[in-house]
Amino acid sequence: MMMKLPFFLFLLAVSANAVDFNRDVRPVLAQQCFTCHGMDDHGRKGKLRLDLSDSAYGKGKSGEIAIVPGKPDASEVIKRILSTDEDEVMPPPHTKKVMSEKDKATLKAWIAEGAKYEAHWAYSPPKATDAKASIDHFIRQHLDKEGLKPSPEADAYTLVRRVYLDLIGLPPTPAEADAFVQSQSGQSNQAYEKLVDFLLASKQYGERWARRWLDLARYADTNGFEKDRPRQIWPYRDWVVKALNDDMPFDQFSIKQLAGDMLPNATAEDIIATGFHRNTMLNEEGGIDPNEYRFYAMVDRVGVTGTAWMGLTMNCCQCHTHKYDPILHTDYYSVMALLNNADEPTYHIPTPEIKAQQKAHAERIAKLEADLPKKFPGGEAAMQSRFAGWIEDQSKRASQWQVIRPTAMKTTMPHLEQQPDGFILGSGDISKSDVYDLSFKAPIKGVTAIKIEVASHPSLPNDGPGLTNYEGPLGGFFLSELKAAQNGQPVKIANAEATNEEEEDKVNDAAPAAAKSKKAARKAAVKKTNNAMATLDAEMSSGWQVLGGYGQSHAAVFHFEKPIDLTNGFDLKMLFEKHFACPLGHFRLSVTTSDHAEATGHPLEVENALATNDQSKREAMLRRFLETAPEMKQAAAPLLAARRQMPRGQPTLAMKERPSSNPRATNRYHRGEYLQPKETVPPAVPAFLPSLPKNAPANRLTFAKWLFAPENPLTARVTVNRQWQAFFGRGLVKSLEDFGYQSEPPSHPELLDWLAVEFVKQGWSLKKLHKQIVMSATYKQASQRTDRSDQTDLENVLLARGARFRLDAEIIRDSALKAAGVLSPKMGGPGVYPPQPASVTSEGTYGKFEWKTSEGEDRYRRSLYTFIKRTAPFAMATTFDAPTGEACLAKRDVSNSPLQALTLLNDQMFMEAAQAMAKVVIAESPDDDSRLTNTFRRCLTRPPAADELIMLQTFLQKQRNQKLDGEALWAAVCRAILNLDEAITHP
Amino acid sequence: MNTPNITRRHFFNDCAVGTGKIALASLLAESAYGAAKSPNAAASSHFEPKAKAVIHMFMAGAPSQLELFDHKPMLTKYEGKPLPPSVIGGQRYAFIRPDAAVLGPRFKFAKHGQCGAELSEVLPNLATVVDDIAIVKSCRTTQFNHAPAQIFINTGFSQPGRPSMGSWVTYGLGAESRDLPSFVVMSTGSGISGGAACWSSGFLPSVYSGTRFRNSGDPILNVSTPAGIEAGTQKDTIDLINSLNHRRLKLDGDGETATRIANYEMAYRLQTSAPELMDLTKEDKATLELYGCDPKVPSFARACLLARRMVERGVRFINIYNEGWDAHSNVEGNVRNNCKNTDQASAALIKDLKQRGLLDSTLVVWGGEFGRTPMVEASVSLGRSMGRDHHPQAFTMWMAGGGIKGGVTMGATDEMGFNIIEDEVHVADIHATILHQLGMDHERLSFRAAGLDFKLTGVEPCKVIKQILA
Repeated sequence: MMMKLPFFLFLLAVSANAVDFNRDVRPVLAQQCFTCHGMDDHGRKGKLRLDLSDSAYGKGKSGEIAIVPGKPDASEVIKRILSTDEDEVMPPPHTKKVMSEKDKATLKAWIAEGAKYEAHWAYSPPKATDAKASIDHFIRQHLDKEGLKPSPEADAYTLVRRVYLDLIGLPPTPAEADAFVQSQSGQSNQAYEKLVDFLLASKQYGERWARRWLDLARYADTNGFEKDRPRQIWPYRDWVVKALNDDMPFDQFSIKQLAGDMLPNATAEDIIATGFHRNTMLNEEGGIDPNEYRFYAMVDRVGVTGTAWMGLTMNCCQCHTHKYDPILHTDYYSVMALLNNADEPTYHIPTPEIKAQQKAHAERIAKLEADLPKKFPGGEAAMQSRFAGWIEDQSKRASQWQVIRPTAMKTTMPHLEQQPDGFILGSGDISKSDVYDLSFKAPIKGVTAIKIEVASHPSLPNDGPGLTNYEGPLGGFFLSELKAAQNGQPVKIANAEATNEEEEDKVNDAAPAAAKSKKAARKAAVKKTNNAMATLDAEMSSGWQVLGGYGQSHAAVFHFEKPIDLTNGFDLKMLFEKHFACPLGHFRLSVTTSDHAEATGHPLEVENALATNDQSKREAMLRRFLETAPEMKQAAAPLLAARRQMPRGQPTLAMKERPSSNPRATNRYHRGEYLQPKETVPPAVPAFLPSLPKNAPANRLTFAKWLFAPENPLTARVTVNRQWQAFFGRGLVKSLEDFGYQSEPPSHPELLDWLAVEFVKQGWSLKKLHKQIVMSATYKQASQRTDRSDQTDLENVLLARGARFRLDAEIIRDSALKAAGVLSPKMGGPGVYPPQPASVTSEGTYGKFEWKTSEGEDRYRRSLYTFIKRTAPFAMATTFDAPTGEACLAKRDVSNSPLQALTLLNDQMFMEAAQAMAKVVIAESPDDDSRLTNTFRRCLTRPPAADELIMLQTFLQKQRNQKLDGEALWAAVCRAILNLDEAITHP
Repeated sequence: MNTPNITRRHFFNDCAVGTGKIALASLLAESAYGAAKSPNAAASSHFEPKAKAVIHMFMAGAPSQLELFDHKPMLTKYEGKPLPPSVIGGQRYAFIRPDAAVLGPRFKFAKHGQCGAELSEVLPNLATVVDDIAIVKSCRTTQFNHAPAQIFINTGFSQPGRPSMGSWVTYGLGAESRDLPSFVVMSTGSGISGGAACWSSGFLPSVYSGTRFRNSGDPILNVSTPAGIEAGTQKDTIDLINSLNHRRLKLDGDGETATRIANYEMAYRLQTSAPELMDLTKEDKATLELYGCDPKVPSFARACLLARRMVERGVRFINIYNEGWDAHSNVEGNVRNNCKNTDQASAALIKDLKQRGLLDSTLVVWGGEFGRTPMVEASVSLGRSMGRDHHPQAFTMWMAGGGIKGGVTMGATDEMGFNIIEDEVHVADIHATILHQLGMDHERLSFRAAGLDFKLTGVEPCKVIKQILA
């Protein structure tokens, strides 16, 4: 038989006119003319625009009229494209564009027919023409036109299986199926509607639909790229499940994910939701430029936002103005500017339990402090005597320090702000080589030393005190060099010491070399490099560092060769340089005129009290004494340890809008290249779309809300289309991610618009939309191919039959687990590790990631919870086309390969499912036939037909003859049925 | 019988192959319904191909061209001194500062073969086939970090998400083999920075993804029948599955079911063909010695020998990753060690293909993701010394067979080995050349995704490297 192309598709697209503007003319104009005569003000020639009728019909700079509707011969455009004069012809020879004869004919025909410009269907808001319409109404209308008839309703088993798989991503058990089949009397729709409502209310609904959303969100549990380290962002995944189960209106659902942090009184949940755009990858490879990869993350965010909500191929405009759609190169960066003003912190979720733990922790510290004196060996008298001696001793060593505040602070990148306590707090972006230039002026003479105190701060990565947020020790810093100057002349620092000099050089480096050379590197005698002196050696790779973490507090003291006078100013230059960005985040500077300054480790207040014999600070001095006295080492240990730990709550990745004091500018990047930033662009949306509201700041939140403005033509259409695709395997608009000029027009434009309008009317409720779809007769049709629809409508665009397509990877695995009776109902939490061959993650992956197979119920959780490692994803999922989380995916491929057969046949997970099912079936059913039927129904829902039962019996007998029996025998049966086409196909 | 329609959905709708031809990945195998009419048969190329298969030996981590191919005595002369800033320009580095001192080559170089190509002393075996290979000393990339650079070489783009070379090739040409996947990936080292993105099919249908051949457990995941299942039961099981699927096919008339039946047959064949491929007992002693291959131990040598066997069996595109060339410290030891593991087998592969008459139709490509700096890398805090950092400006690759002219050395860098001064070859040129040898025009091999017509070679102009073509 000849394979026929679906010829009616061509018919669908042809409108009344022989030449269709959007289909035929616009691509020609776009490709040949718009570069100089389009929407881009930049580089426009002859003041002529051919994208707007007003301009095209009017006189150009030359005085000629470009397009005279109806009169191609009078139109300058036609004269020019036909001209043989090198100076006249369009496009000009230097553009190297050559217009084909076909294109010339198209333009001529179009002008002859009146040169009508037409708006693109997707760029004007959807209108529902017939309020009383329904899905079936539109579908039938179209079928009638093609002379096709809808298929009858699918049988009850098919229907119950289909609606279970679609709504909750799991098949019904035989009992669940029977309950429906038996309750369905005649033509009554009641039982079905009851079932639909039940499934929509089921917790598993959110788990099924979250997976589809996570494809767009490019969710994964690792950072991607070489190191591909684990990250914790599963609270975001769980937020999606819960939001979908709660039927959170899709506008809220979206606004929270794009800008939840900016909502008034944002809740913890709102902030968790912003994880959506934190699912970008993070490159922690040795020596990357962090700002380059932040730029790529922003590129990703713009593209994903375009795909997920707007159906726009924004990604095309990273490098140049869109070839077809009305999006300028600049528009792309303006949209980026809307999204680009956030910091990207790790957010510790402050649950009530955590808050209670924190309170208890603070109380515990207070109690430990209060109890300290009681623990002094020998009691009060002994303590007082030792304390007096300590004061006497320490007073001699102590120096008085005076906090100095910079009069000017300049940095290469981070943003510094002075705090009331004299500390300076850093934030914002960081680079591999950051310099802080701090200037001081204070009426202090005879300054002998300067001290840098560093301390943790909750706003910093891993609590600081540094700003390192990738690759290196999180929250650490590395001060490579310190330079002092006065009036432009260097001030010599003679020596320096720090309070953590005894610490190991715990340089958490990314050692990019292979294992062998790593070992060699470790063997190489490493010079002690972590000390304050190393900041004076003009060697950038050595310096002073403090690793990050809660409760860190250290100081370094730098001694001037000669005392200096700060009256006329003093400049300090701090250089932070390493193969990862490592500037300081929270620090304070103080000076002394003492002739015996040293890094004592005492808090400033205590040291000053000691130096001045300030008896009012006796209590603070006593505490310091008790915490440091050698005889208190054991007694003070719990307190000191407690100060370094704080219950912080489950971390997740979130967005945080920047303070107005430190906005981030966004540039246009020439050809989309990070190394070619050009002018700064304002935050804005493309001009062809409704503008942002005038009375609101042009920011992320306003943009998120704008997506849902009634006049926005795209969001509702794009969303309903994606939902439609989930049920029918094909969208009404085929390209889920592209509603632009180049997309295939909708198969049912009125239906798409009607659904979009209804969706908004119903409060953006996904559950209502889903119900509307599954209640339709269109959805309930049988999926068998009929001779007629098969031949004319291969792709089932017209829906004269139900949709039959292979199930998603997750549904295939989860169905097998449910059929086997082992699927765990446990929801949420960190990713789990179901069985898979060790070589998936141990071979060829950087760092030999060990897949520690989960035990107990975590072995059989829903696939949504399987740990997703981007560079070595779960093999079964990849084999069945699940995404890796490296890029946003609007629509999965549906492949059909021998590797899938091997997986279902031989993979350990499926073997375990078969074995578990065998046990249940043996226990549940007494004889061969009932066991065969039970197995069959667990996997396929419907009972086997007589001939199928015979085939199964024959197999069974044959295996018995080969001495297979008991569980092994029945596992073989279960395994075969789990492999059936029907077991992995949307029926 | 109601003849099922076995058209593949995406071939009629998504495959905007420039030439309008329809190719089907090998893994779909021939259909149960008439192999002759299956669109899977090896598809026609744009023009007469020179090569039928490609073996890409990917030296992940980036070998030092200055220790292997690009001899720069001037570096010895200036050892310890920095390069002038005018040479360095604005180049960013991963670890070193641009003003780091230069480091002289660690090995002696000598001329070899009739062509007199200069090679380092650690490539004694390659020296014996130097008249069969074309050395390109003027390769350049845009990426200076491993993962993006590896993904770039493999997919033409520095971020994950695009189809890899092997995917484009199998998409464009279809399969030769009925029993094996047509795009195979082997890893012989410590880990691939770019990960699975390096052999992903990107936005092409996922059947064009590379299939990993693994060193431990099953060579292809799940290709062995599980313990406890006898061969007879396995056969009966597949028969039962296919009988029941045939019945379903008659009822529903879904072409996907027909493809699935074919795939179970192919899976069954794979269960035999994969172990047969891996079984090196039939290789004679001389061959094993030629490669330096211990059949029982996974190694680069074994992967090379397997690659030859794959080529013999119609595999279209083979990636052999050899990781561990990232010599930030002790570049001398690193290169010496890696050459010990790879030099003999790389040369053996050329010789073996040649003696079996396969070299003419097999394109062999050798290279890493970028080069290494003329400057030394040393860091007290990282405990590194005498290493070299990443250098995207210049690196060396070689190609052989498949219509490549042997005994050619092309391109040159300046006397310090920093910049290219002659015949710059960009990554896209390498891609264009590989496609060209396979009979494909890189301008015409395209795929529409997310609003753009994508090509392996991207949008920048690029060229086939004519200088090395026979």
